[in-house]
Amino acid sequence: MSGAGTGAGVRMRLRSAAGALPGEPVDNAELQARLGLSAEWVDRFVGTRTRHFALGTTDLAGLCTTAARTALASAGTGAQRMDFVVLATATPDALMPTTAAVVADRLGISGVPVFQLQSGCSGTVQALALAEAMLVSGAGQGLVIGGDVCTKHLALDRDFRRMPPAELVNYVLFGDGAGAAVVSAEAGPGSADCVAVRHRPVRPGLPPGQRVEWYGAADLGSAEPAPPVSEDYKAVQRLVPELAGQEGEELLGLVGWSGQDLDHLLPPQLGGLMTERITAELRRVLKADRAAEVSCVAETGNTGNALLLLQLARLLPRLSPGEKALALCVESSHWISAGLALEAS
Amino acid sequence: MTPPDTPALIALINDELGLALEPGMAGLPLDALPGWDSILLLRLVVVLEEAVGRPLPVAELLSAGSLEQIQALAVSA
Repeated sequence: MSGAGTGAGVRMRLRSAAGALPGEPVDNAELQARLGLSAEWVDRFVGTRTRHFALGTTDLAGLCTTAARTALASAGTGAQRMDFVVLATATPDALMPTTAAVVADRLGISGVPVFQLQSGCSGTVQALALAEAMLVSGAGQGLVIGGDVCTKHLALDRDFRRMPPAELVNYVLFGDGAGAAVVSAEAGPGSADCVAVRHRPVRPGLPPGQRVEWYGAADLGSAEPAPPVSEDYKAVQRLVPELAGQEGEELLGLVGWSGQDLDHLLPPQLGGLMTERITAELRRVLKADRAAEVSCVAETGNTGNALLLLQLARLLPRLSPGEKALALCVESSHWISAGLALEAS
Repeated sequence: MTPPDTPALIALINDELGLALEPGMAGLPLDALPGWDSILLLRLVVVLEEAVGRPLPVAELLSAGSLEQIQALAVSA
């Protein structure tokens, strides 16, 4: 993780953040019309009001490129000035070439390191940690991108009556999107200092809370291939609030802040209702009574690696001088806790 | 189509949702049913509407506390 403390010890600044969502929002009534899944059930038990579907309109690289262009413009810089690109995703357009390389090419970035991280909800924090290491080793500025096209895994002609709950839940939780951020060693107008960034698996030996398959030619001949996405949502419901609270407490301790210092709280996001519950629990555990929640999942659906960047895009314009923010992620795939402490530059 | 009576509803749920409920469990709170999960309600709405051949009052159905109450809603709808 980055060093604790503020000011001179800060090694990475967040210069801008932006998101890209495909097409018009799909509300629960339209979801019901498309898939036959009760809109009222989604309202009541998930609390996600809208999401965006990319299928048939754009690919992940297209979303990431759009988000990156917006972030570059917002930071007042250009693609050719980037010293590196890091892209995090669980759903690359192809295993090769990497979506990161395709996006860099579309942006006109060449001759600099381009990384892709295969990751879930903690991917953006992982990408930021790698970006920080690049900045420490001499890079001036770079692009951090995260995104997922989750609808790749949604088969609209399935019989939902017979679909196992672990698979069905994905049809109501997820959406598509991408986000991007420009990071630099130097501060700039409206930038935020990254006081701490860290991520690590925290539950060794525990079965994964979410599993996403990929299939090769040999698998396709299998009589019963594993479902493309399955989620142990009961484990997720139980563990994510607990792990987020632990990560929040530890991260605050590392940077020497109290919960009362926090002006903004960016909680882990699963569905609208669960995020509300987690935020309430985090405010209680961290004693962060006055921290304003910055979340987007009720409008965007769970966009995986894009979520934190979409939250950061909402945070930066609200971050006044001297304000502090704490972002927390829990990746249920292998129970990875991740966090980010930010302070207005 | 005829709305299912309580034993038929239990049989329908066991068959379509993969549970192993017994007829005497219809009055239990849903959370007390072995293998019950709120996401099963999502599937039960689809299964029941197909069984009775018409839309059901979903808001009331989602508020139901037991399979008996769900069965009553399916009958009265």
